[in-house]
Amino acid sequence: MNYYEEANGRVALGIRRPEPGDWHHGYAEFHVLRDDERCIRCLVCVRQCPYDCTFYDPHRHAVYNIDENCVNCRRCEFMCPTDAIEITRWGAGFRENDNWRHRTIRAIYKQADTGAVNLSGLGNDLEYVSYFDRIVLDASQVTNPSIDPLREPMEMRTFLGRKPERLGEDCEMHPNLQIEVPVIFAPMSFGAISFNFQKGLAMAAKEMGTYFNTGEGGLHPDLRAYADCAIVQVASGRFGVSLDYLAHSAACEIKIGQGAKPGIGGHLPGEKVTREVSRTRMIPEGSDALSPAPQHDIYSIEDLRLLIYAIKEATEYAKPVSVKIAAVHHVAAIASGIVRAGADIVVLDGFRGGTGAAPTIIRDHVGIPIEVALAQVDQRLREEGIRHQASLIAAGGIRSSADIIKGLALGADAFYIGTAAMMAVGCTACQQCHRGKCSWGITTNRPDLAPRLQPEVAAERLANLLRGWAHEIKEMLGLMGLNSIESLRGNRLKLRGVGLTQVELDALGIQQAGL
Amino acid sequence: MRRVYPLEERCINCHLCEVACIVEHSKTKSPVSAFHVEGLRFNREDSRTVPDPAEALAAGVPKPLTRTIVQTAGYVSVSTNCRHCAEPDCVLACKNGSLYVNEDGRVLLHEDKCVGCWMCIMACRYGAITPNPTRRNVPAVKNNGINHHCDLCPERETPACVWVCPTKALVFEDRDVP
Repeated sequence: MNYYEEANGRVALGIRRPEPGDWHHGYAEFHVLRDDERCIRCLVCVRQCPYDCTFYDPHRHAVYNIDENCVNCRRCEFMCPTDAIEITRWGAGFRENDNWRHRTIRAIYKQADTGAVNLSGLGNDLEYVSYFDRIVLDASQVTNPSIDPLREPMEMRTFLGRKPERLGEDCEMHPNLQIEVPVIFAPMSFGAISFNFQKGLAMAAKEMGTYFNTGEGGLHPDLRAYADCAIVQVASGRFGVSLDYLAHSAACEIKIGQGAKPGIGGHLPGEKVTREVSRTRMIPEGSDALSPAPQHDIYSIEDLRLLIYAIKEATEYAKPVSVKIAAVHHVAAIASGIVRAGADIVVLDGFRGGTGAAPTIIRDHVGIPIEVALAQVDQRLREEGIRHQASLIAAGGIRSSADIIKGLALGADAFYIGTAAMMAVGCTACQQCHRGKCSWGITTNRPDLAPRLQPEVAAERLANLLRGWAHEIKEMLGLMGLNSIESLRGNRLKLRGVGLTQVELDALGIQQAGL
Repeated sequence: MRRVYPLEERCINCHLCEVACIVEHSKTKSPVSAFHVEGLRFNREDSRTVPDPAEALAAGVPKPLTRTIVQTAGYVSVSTNCRHCAEPDCVLACKNGSLYVNEDGRVLLHEDKCVGCWMCIMACRYGAITPNPTRRNVPAVKNNGINHHCDLCPERETPACVWVCPTKALVFEDRDVP
């Protein structure tokens, strides 16, 4: 085995010596324990590990690990036919210190090694307060009846887009998206994720009556069959954007910012730009796909209006146009401007939002929580009397149906789920998306890794997730005595805060529990 | 007749089909025992219950052999096994009738009859037959393991390799072509 030959170089010397540029590998974070009684040397783990962590030594007829390479993706644990593998933390780690935590120390080692910006995948993992977890729901007792969703109809259908100014025979109807569950699959581009995963998202969206979002990487020709449930994105890099691309969609989305990295552009490393990715993005194979930080034709709300109407012209005013921004300070004023610029849907992406690759420091420290952004934007649009002109989609850190119910009551029309969708198909949150070696075949297009996720399997699991959530949403609506999502939207009287200050309660527009 | 067909684009080269095949054709049906204990017993006629993997390795055959073999070339991998042809060349080549086609259409072996002449191996156009060195009916001759090929798991409804495949890269279905 060639892996063995590589490893043998280190092992045969008998001395492990981290090179000067490799000190951050000097301390292993995880320790792979293998029960020798159970290990049958089938080498499944060796073949499954893409991080060069697991090796076979034919002389000892044993499997062993180079623990410093382990990222705790747990693929070997999952695949082991005899359950022989256990991954633990390595020893004591650095001396306990709440100020200099191991992640802080390791980040410094890594930068001292490389002199570069530290990258991460997934979303912000620091211990900020989660307002969703400090909000509780109301329920009906005695004075008003609760509703049993198994016996009575429960309306889940939602329309996204601009609504008419008033009802009447002469009212002007605008193109709207119809969704059967208030959950849409978040923008994740082909290139950042595998083709199989994107196809799985498309298949699940079609089955469940919702939409998937292509992200900024274009729409692969094989996925144009799913155009009816595709939201296509126009981002600052304009990858894969053409008239044909805009035509093969249900809606178009202008991406201004991303919750995981507000204010900066994207970077898809050249290694991830395979032949198919290059064809879809319309860039040379193997070249870095760099999307600029701003859209260089949008420096103001007026410029945004030009692009929105350029896209509306191109699609003959038949499709809603959405604008996606990261949740930042003054988001309410920005969103108001976006609605006035003509957007039919505004997407707010909170600071917990995921990413295929972002500088760790930006991922962890830039942006604001989606809960307050949503509450503020909804409030502002209502005060200005333009809430009906656009729908609100909340994104960034939606983890469960409870988050969705709370977000609905805070004013959102629908939600994007990205990380939760990845977890439905196997993601273990090891945060290595930026390395393009995803051991679950989700965020990679390497031909040996991508088949690990099959579209049919992904679609089935994603549809199951949405079904489960839809059922829970119906139950929660019922217990509040409501029979439609419409009745809950912006209904903050159904929410109460626990353990929040008055300023936080005011920002969320909710009351203290008990009042 | 239903056969096991591999889907090349789905195979992830994990070799779990081989593990499942070995376990299914072991005496204990337990992966740990099949790999650690049984191979040793087959070779050494040893009644010890505690095996020594090193000894098993030294004996040459540490475990029962797999009947499906994952072939790899670069990024491409595929699990290959007996095609159970409608008119099997191996059965025609077999000189003492130890290979036969049963009423279901499966190509099977009378294990006690086979003398290990390997004509079936020569005749098989798919290379799906391997010698099984753990079983020799003519001990006087060296290196003459008997015929060893897929039996479609007679004790199971779905063959073990199909059941275990994590990406459903093996399917058990009825097609016109072997």
